[in-house]
Amino acid sequence: MFQKKSALASLGSLMVLCMFMFVMVCPALAAKDRIVLAVGGESEEGYDPLLGWGSYGNPLFHSTLLKRDADLKIVPDLAREWTLSKDKLTWTVKIREGVVFSDGSALTAADVAFTFNKGLEAGGKIDLSPLESAKAMDKTTVTLKLKTPDITFIQHLITLGIVPEKLYGPGYARAPIGSGPYKLVRWDEGQQMVVEANDRYYGTKPAIRQLVFLFSEEDAALAAARAGEVDVLGVPSNLAGQEIPGMRLHVVKSVDNRGLMFPMVPDEGRKTPNGLAVGNSVTADVAIRKAVNFAMDREALVAGILDGHGRSAFGVVDDLPWDNKDIRFKDNDPAKAIAILEQAGWKDTDKDGVREKNGLKAEFTIVYNAKDSLRQGLALAVSDMLRPVGIKAVPKGESWDRIKTELTHTNVVVYGFGDHSPLEMFKLYHTPGPEPMYWNAGFYSNATVDQYLEQARAAESFEASIPFWQKAQWDGKTGFTMPGDAAWAWMVNLDHTYFVNKCLNVGKSQMEPHGHGWPITANIHEWKWICE
Amino acid sequence: MNVHALLPMDRRSRTIAVILGCLALFACVFTGAWLYGDRGEVTALTLRKLPPSLQYPFGTDWLGRDMLARTLKGLRISLRVGLTAAGCSAGIALLLGLCAATLGRAVDAVITWLVDIAMATPHLVLLILISFACGGGEKGVIIAVAASHWPSLTRVIRAEVLALRSSEYIQLSRQLGKRPLYIARHHMLPHVLPQFMVGLLLLFPHAILHAAALTFLGFGMSPHTPAIGALLAESMRYLSMGLWWLAVAPGLTLVITVKAFDILGGNVRALLDPKTCRE
Repeated sequence: MFQKKSALASLGSLMVLCMFMFVMVCPALAAKDRIVLAVGGESEEGYDPLLGWGSYGNPLFHSTLLKRDADLKIVPDLAREWTLSKDKLTWTVKIREGVVFSDGSALTAADVAFTFNKGLEAGGKIDLSPLESAKAMDKTTVTLKLKTPDITFIQHLITLGIVPEKLYGPGYARAPIGSGPYKLVRWDEGQQMVVEANDRYYGTKPAIRQLVFLFSEEDAALAAARAGEVDVLGVPSNLAGQEIPGMRLHVVKSVDNRGLMFPMVPDEGRKTPNGLAVGNSVTADVAIRKAVNFAMDREALVAGILDGHGRSAFGVVDDLPWDNKDIRFKDNDPAKAIAILEQAGWKDTDKDGVREKNGLKAEFTIVYNAKDSLRQGLALAVSDMLRPVGIKAVPKGESWDRIKTELTHTNVVVYGFGDHSPLEMFKLYHTPGPEPMYWNAGFYSNATVDQYLEQARAAESFEASIPFWQKAQWDGKTGFTMPGDAAWAWMVNLDHTYFVNKCLNVGKSQMEPHGHGWPITANIHEWKWICE
Repeated sequence: MNVHALLPMDRRSRTIAVILGCLALFACVFTGAWLYGDRGEVTALTLRKLPPSLQYPFGTDWLGRDMLARTLKGLRISLRVGLTAAGCSAGIALLLGLCAATLGRAVDAVITWLVDIAMATPHLVLLILISFACGGGEKGVIIAVAASHWPSLTRVIRAEVLALRSSEYIQLSRQLGKRPLYIARHHMLPHVLPQFMVGLLLLFPHAILHAAALTFLGFGMSPHTPAIGALLAESMRYLSMGLWWLAVAPGLTLVITVKAFDILGGNVRALLDPKTCRE
C-alpha cells in the first residue's frame, strides 16, 4: 500500500514537474517569433505610401518596385526587369507574376499604375511631379511616362509602396493592405502597433512572426528595456553609453544629419499663400551664415552631444558618391568668423557683446523640436559657441507642429535630413515654390545652382549626373555650401544607436537614411532569434 | 529637561523667528540665482556628467552645466511663477468672494456655480488645457495656475462675508443708507484680510508644485529653461545611467521650498488668528 502510494506520488510529482517545465518553456518558445521594438516611427498621418509613408524607403507593409540592399545597391523587389528608354522618358517595368496583397487579391500592373497616378495627384510629401502618367500595358508590365528626363525618378521606384487599387480610399492609412513582408494587425494610436508576418509575401519569409512596435517617450522606452520587455530599443546617442542587462549596443552608420537652416531672404513683410511670415534680415546676410559655419566646433558637438557616435557634417550629402570633397573647411575658427563679421560691417559699437550693423543686432532664434534631446543639445551648444564671436543665438524649444506651420520661414531651425538619393538635395536647394513647408524653408535661390541641379536630374545616366550634383554644392565660384552661399550650417552626421537583445541577430544593417519610419527593419528577413 | 529651556522664547517669538527664517531662505534663493549670472545655462562640453564634488556641489548635467546654479535658478522661476500665480488667484478669489456675498442672490448663485464647476474639473487637466491654449511658456503656466486655484479661497471668503452680513455694525451701516459696494470696501474687506493673507500663503505651495508639474509634463516652459519641473523631467532619462544627482538635489530643494511656504503659512495664520495670536 505504502509502495503504491509512493509510486502514485512520484508519478504525480513528475507530471507536476512536466507541466511546470512546459509552462516555463512556453514563453521562451513564444519569444522566438515575437519581438518588441521601441524604435519610434509612429506616423500620425497613418501608413499610406501616397501620403508619405516610407518616403525614406522600406515601407514594411508594402512592397516597392526596387529596393536597396545592405550596400545600397539597387536590387529588384516587385520588379523583374526595369528599363529606361533611349530618350529617358519612359520607364518600362515588368513585375513578378502571382504576387498577391495580404488580403489575397492579386497585385497586377494596374495597381502599380494606379499607385503612381494617384501619387501624382496627391502631391505633397512624395512629389511625383516629373511623372506624366503611368499605364498598365498588360497584367505584369507597366510604363511610367515622364514629362522631362529625370535621372532621380528611380528613387520613387525604390520608395513608393504599391497600394491596391480596389481597396484604396479614405481610411486606407489607418488599415493599410499591401504586399510587403508584414501586415498590420492592430494599432493603438500613441501606444503600440502589432504587425504579423504576411503569409502571402513572395520574398524571403521573415523568421520573426510578430513585431510589436511601442510608441513611448525616450525614458519610458528605456525603463521598459531595463525591465526586459523590449528586444530592440532605439536611443539617442547621448543615452548609448550605458549597460542594459541582456542587451548589446548596435551602432549603425547613417546619412542622417543635423544642421541649421537659415532663412535666406530679409524680412520685408512677405507672406506665403497660407499666411506664414517669411524672412529674417540677420541670417539673410551671408557673412552671418559663414561666421556661424566657422565658429562652430563640430568635433566638440560629436564628442559632447552625440557621445562620439557620429561625425562632423559639412554638407547635406557627406560621404555619399555625389559629395563634393572640396567643400570641407577648418571649423572651430572663431578668429576667422570674427574677421568675416568685421569685414562685412558687423561691429559691436555699444559693447554689449552682440555685434550690430545699421542698427540691426546680430541676433536670431534657433528653434528646435522640444521633444528631441539631441536637437536641444545641439542648439544649446551651438548658441554658446556663437557668443564669443558676437552673435546672439537664442535657443527655443517648440512643438514640431508649430515649427512646421508657423516658425520655419523666419527662424533658424535645427532640421535633420539625409537620404539615399540626391533628389533630397534638389528639394532642399532648388528655388522653391510659394509654399515649401520644410523643403527649402529658407527660400534659398541661386540661378547657377538651379541650373546645375536641373542638369543633374536631366543627365544621361546616374554616373553622368554626379558632376552636376557636385558643382551645385561648389563649382569654384558659387554653390550652396559654405564656400558659396552657406545656405545651411550643417553640424553632425549621426550614428543610429540601438540596444538589441543579445539573443537577437539583426544581420548587417544598411547605412540608414534619416529616421522616419523604421530604417532598422530594412533587412528584417535576416533577423533571427539565436538563443535556444 | 524642559523643552522651553532649549528654545528660550515664547511661541509668538518662535513663530516670528520661523517666518523670518523662511523669508531668509527665499532671499537666499533669489540672491544665489542672481549671483550665478549665466552659469548653469551655458554648456561646457568638457565637464559633462560630473558627480557632486566641492566645486560642483550638485554635480553637472549631460551638457556640463552646473546643477547647483540650475537648481537655484529653477527655484527662482518656481518662486516667481508661484508668487505671481498665487497672487492673481487670491485676487480673483477675494473679488468673487466679496461679490458673491454682497451683490445679491443672482450674483451669488452664478459665482457659486462657477466655483462648483471649477472644483469639479480635474485640476491637472484644466491646467494643461489652459496652459496649452495660452501657448505654453512662463506666461501660459502663470495664467493656467492663476485661473485654476481660486475656487477654494473664494468659498472661504464668501462664507466669512456671509457670516459678517448679519453682524450688527453691518446692519447699522446698511440702515444708514450705505451702498453695498461701500460696505464691502469699508467694513468687510478689512475684516477678511487675515483670512485672505493666510489663504494666499497657503496657495503658494500649490502653485509652485503645479507649475513644476506642468513643466514636467512638457506643457510649460522650453525644455532647456532651468525650471524645476524641466530639470526633473530631464533627469528621468539619465537616472538609469546612474546620474542620480540630477534628480535628487532639485527634487529635495523643491520639497524644502514648498514645505517652507507651508510652515510660513501656518505660522502667519497662528499670528493673525485672534484665538492663537496671544499664546
